[in-house]
Amino acid sequence: MHTGHIKYLLMDYLTEHLDESDRDHVRLHLQHCSECHNLYDELKTTHEALQHSQKVLPSSAYYSTILPRVHKRIMGHRESLWSNKIIPSRILLPLALSALFLIFLSRTPSDLSSEHEQTEVLFQAVKDYSPDEVVQAVSTEYASSNALSNPEVVSEGIAEHLRGDHFIREALLKQIESDDIGDMDYDGVLSGLNREQAEQLMSKLSEREML
Amino acid sequence: MSVSNDLELIESFQKGDEASFNELVRRYQEKVYWIAHRFVNDHDQADDIVQEVFLKVYRALKDFRGKSSIYTWLYRITVNVSLNTLRKRRVKDFFRIDEFFDYPSEESERPDKQYELIEQKQLIEEATQQLPEKQKAVFILRYYEELPYEDISKILKTSVGGLKANYFHAVKNIGEFVSRAHRAH
Repeated sequence: MHTGHIKYLLMDYLTEHLDESDRDHVRLHLQHCSECHNLYDELKTTHEALQHSQKVLPSSAYYSTILPRVHKRIMGHRESLWSNKIIPSRILLPLALSALFLIFLSRTPSDLSSEHEQTEVLFQAVKDYSPDEVVQAVSTEYASSNALSNPEVVSEGIAEHLRGDHFIREALLKQIESDDIGDMDYDGVLSGLNREQAEQLMSKLSEREML
Repeated sequence: MSVSNDLELIESFQKGDEASFNELVRRYQEKVYWIAHRFVNDHDQADDIVQEVFLKVYRALKDFRGKSSIYTWLYRITVNVSLNTLRKRRVKDFFRIDEFFDYPSEESERPDKQYELIEQKQLIEEATQQLPEKQKAVFILRYYEELPYEDISKILKTSVGGLKANYFHAVKNIGEFVSRAHRAH
């Protein structure tokens, strides 16, 4: 073994963590290599200094406080999943909307007293959620079904919640004018819609039989 | 009552027995605290790390497939959370200094600061804290925890050869830091 390899074994030699074969190699090497011997002395001094670094022990009572606090944080984490609406928006909201749309599909137009009623139902379904969550849910619906058979109605409901964003809006307008609607990034685009634009988009998509 | 091994506890937890998680916490809390404390050298931060580690464990335990041993897995989480804490601390320290433009001159720092460093223990802690991340992690796991290189390799995802080099340089750097402090004193 050469110096380059031996020096990386010196600490384990010092702390007696080498197997017998390596230990013998190091011992023999140290007898004739002054460079490694100096390194060994240096590491030994440091090792002795490190012995002064005592383990800092907290009181034994401290450890009994860990588990209850971990459980408190677990509970807090669970609650935050609800309060941040991660579970409602990712799971329950799409489920609720899907169910809602299925109900719509199963009803004939005459079942509905008016378009206003549809709008109101949709509005009630989404009003407690943030725009991002609504967008997420609606775009999921776009991808999964043709349930949005009446896009104007849907846009009426969701548009109340959608924020305008200058850049996205501009991108949207360009996209609406182009023929690339089929490749549209719904999440990105929808987050910038206002009511008028949502209606415009829905109408365009409907015209092209994409809904 | 029989003492379950770690895998039995995990399987039991995965089947819905929450008490198994409690047993894992009790089994490893001291170890996790101790490693965290070695990294951050501060009780409150070490305590935060312990909480964070076990929260992560709780969330991930359902998907634990036993490809690595629980303690290797736990050590990896502890090291990662500890390093993240140190990184955040560095950012905070950076902005604190930047905010107040408080750059002490070498001369003004010397007398009082060096007297504080006379205590060997403090000196060693300072020396350990100034190590680069990887060296510090290897040093703590090898020197204090006496883990085999093969296990450290799994925890830090580094080759055994690389670990040995890091370990050597860590101890050498600590020694040089201590020497410099003594000379300055």
